[in-house]
Amino acid sequence: MDYVLHILVMMLIYSILSVSLDLAVGHTGLVSLAHASFYGVGAYASAILCGLMGFSFWVGISAGIVVAALMSVGLSIMSLRLSEDYFAIGTFSFGLVVSSVLTNWLSVTRGPFGIPGVPPPIIFGWTVRSQVGYLVAGATVLAMAVIVVRHFSSHQFGRVIHCIREDEVLAQSFGKNTLSFKVTVFALGACFAAVAGSLYAHYISFVDPTSFSINESILILSIVIVGGPASRFGPIIGAILLVGVPEVLRFAGLPFSVAADLRQILYGGVLVGIVLFRPQGIAGNYEFRR
Amino acid sequence: MSIGVQLVANGIVAGSAYSLLGISFGLIYSTARFFHFAYGGIYTAAAYAAYLTFVVLHLPFGLSLALAVTCAACLGVLCQTMVYQPLRRRGSGPASLLVASLGLFVVMQSVVSLGFGDATRVLRSGGLGSVAVFGALITPIQIAVIVTNLVMCAVVWLAVQFTRIGRATRAVADDVELSRIAGVNVERVIVIVFAVGSALAAVAAILASLDTDMRPTMGFEALLMGVVAAVIGGTGSIPGAFVGGMFLGLAQQIGVWRLPTAWQDAIAFCLLILCLIFRPQGVFGLPLRRTRI
Amino acid sequence: MNSGGNVATGQLQCESISKSFDGVEALRDVTINFPAYGVVAVIGPNGAGKTTLINVLSGFTRPDSGSVWLNGLEITDWLPYKIARQGVVRTFQDVRIASEMSVLDNVMLACAHPRSTAWFSDLIPNTIRAREQVIRRSAEEALRFAQLHDELSRRAGDLSYGQRKLLTLACCFASGAGTLLLDEPIAGVYPEMALQIATVLREMSKCGKHIVFIEHDIACVRRLADEVIVLAEGKVIARGETAEVLARHEVMEAYLD
Repeated sequence: MDYVLHILVMMLIYSILSVSLDLAVGHTGLVSLAHASFYGVGAYASAILCGLMGFSFWVGISAGIVVAALMSVGLSIMSLRLSEDYFAIGTFSFGLVVSSVLTNWLSVTRGPFGIPGVPPPIIFGWTVRSQVGYLVAGATVLAMAVIVVRHFSSHQFGRVIHCIREDEVLAQSFGKNTLSFKVTVFALGACFAAVAGSLYAHYISFVDPTSFSINESILILSIVIVGGPASRFGPIIGAILLVGVPEVLRFAGLPFSVAADLRQILYGGVLVGIVLFRPQGIAGNYEFRR
Repeated sequence: MSIGVQLVANGIVAGSAYSLLGISFGLIYSTARFFHFAYGGIYTAAAYAAYLTFVVLHLPFGLSLALAVTCAACLGVLCQTMVYQPLRRRGSGPASLLVASLGLFVVMQSVVSLGFGDATRVLRSGGLGSVAVFGALITPIQIAVIVTNLVMCAVVWLAVQFTRIGRATRAVADDVELSRIAGVNVERVIVIVFAVGSALAAVAAILASLDTDMRPTMGFEALLMGVVAAVIGGTGSIPGAFVGGMFLGLAQQIGVWRLPTAWQDAIAFCLLILCLIFRPQGVFGLPLRRTRI
Repeated sequence: MNSGGNVATGQLQCESISKSFDGVEALRDVTINFPAYGVVAVIGPNGAGKTTLINVLSGFTRPDSGSVWLNGLEITDWLPYKIARQGVVRTFQDVRIASEMSVLDNVMLACAHPRSTAWFSDLIPNTIRAREQVIRRSAEEALRFAQLHDELSRRAGDLSYGQRKLLTLACCFASGAGTLLLDEPIAGVYPEMALQIATVLREMSKCGKHIVFIEHDIACVRRLADEVIVLAEGKVIARGETAEVLARHEVMEAYLD
């Protein structure tokens, strides 16, 4: 039962990550491989400020959000100069640099040793200790993320970013300052990713750089693509699938490393399969065209 | 002073490998126009194929080499014809191609890991002594690595400049639509480029395996270096990728002199980001395709 | 008829504009003072630099030398979106639209983003709903004007070529811009549609929009334009009242070359 609840919490966390990434990827067409960096920043901010330095949960999470939002501006600047595929490479290297920093800046992040002992958060007087508590917290954040993404993908803001997705020049020709839209989209994504990171840090009570590597970014992007970009529940369905199904393999009675490899093969295969045969994803209705 | 010379020597060994990676990756990018991440998977597969034939099956080295290179070329062609080509024909954007190539990469790397395990392997059959060259210690293998890499770089450059297929490749890299109108069979050129690019990756992989350890994740690291070298040098340009690779190799060594080894990779990625922000077309590159109005 | 906008028409001028691409001179020392009203046609043989001129005026291409002015303000280095906000809007030769969005959404997109008095007003549902109403009304009116109102919910990519051209005009109208730079608004459509587009253009001009358009069809130019500017090999070779310019010897020669 504990195990099932654990999987549910992780599904919630990945849902938050993928829903927030979807605003940039699915709605604005900006493929970013840097999302795990913001996830990591949020986690480490909470781990360092709450775990190592004893500040309250709110300090940790706020710091994470602020740092992540500021860093996301870097992505926006990159998008100014770079076309689609170069932009993806740019975000890819952004993710690698952050990962490197987390691994090597020993004095601050304790590098590969990680930061243990992140205390349970105290939210409005309630100490979140049990898994059910994290489920509630996670579900609340997810609901907020879904609402925010829905708001920003509707009305005039939504129209502009959907136009940017197809033809940025067209949006500019109607007087839209496309850069400011992109900055907003990246900042929102980064903020929610940081919150997810904070939740993760408190939940697992231990953070280390390997959880926020470029592979994580690839996983989160895959969740968006598989679930269905630019759809309300696509990213959540993707998270349930890509987090849940590999867990099933654990029970197949295979040796650990074999199961891990099979999981990866399955995951890679699903990715290629979806892109080839159902490009709009499971629940989506938008397909990335040239 | 010999530290400096050693660093330069190490830089050249690494740089020559990065140059070959950069050139082959850049060749594929400039014609196919997207970042073919599966390149890393093909690199790994080639190294392990050589391991299988040479170390496990005890086939002669030449034969092993040929088989591994062929295997890589075939994998490259399969990726193009079974995945990328259908996607392109459907009008999928670079985002879809990128994600598909990521999927292919993950599958390849995991198959290798499944088949051979995660433990490091070694392709060479024994240790070899070092030789002193201008005060730097260098193994005969490393000399072979440098020479072979450089020779392959030169061969590719000559082929692209002077052969018919090379000219066709350049035409496609410059302007796909125009070259199609001029009668170039673009699909065939791209398939050939994938085959050749993958074959070159295989050569680089085997050379690297002779010099250092093999791991299933080796392809990822090679891919990164190839991307950095290609972007810094300019993806449309072979001399550019060469310079980019050499520069990267030397810069890393100099960085390692002052900073802990772990920061080696971070140096590469920072260079990449700086390059992307300030000069996205690289040192020698053609201006990036901007939206034509 | 509502003019569909509240941005005044502007005095657009360019001075000594030169622009080369890869060594080919697209524009050579071009100086034009556009009138604030009326319809001006820019004609000339292929490669004369007409599209480049529009690109420079709208900020999408930076000239190698020279300057662009709007209402006495220098806009040469301005980003395209800023120039558009000042009331200069343009269409593209390859008829760009947001194909995946509906026709109505395309036109609503073109409407100016309402200026918020407070940053958080974007979050208040009532304000959003009210704004959406206003934008929707402007968009529907623009669509009626362009005779596309029946297609409002259709996916823009499903429109015919001629209908797409009408859509771009509806968008320009809805944007409220006073100066419209149109790149071949009529070329390539069948005669009935050409007439329909010409009618829309004439109506827009009557509403007070200043129109500058590029076209190849001389008959069309004769019917619509008050003034004609002739570009050849990057230079202005003639300018003046339509009938007079079109009768000139050197203009016909430029086309025949």
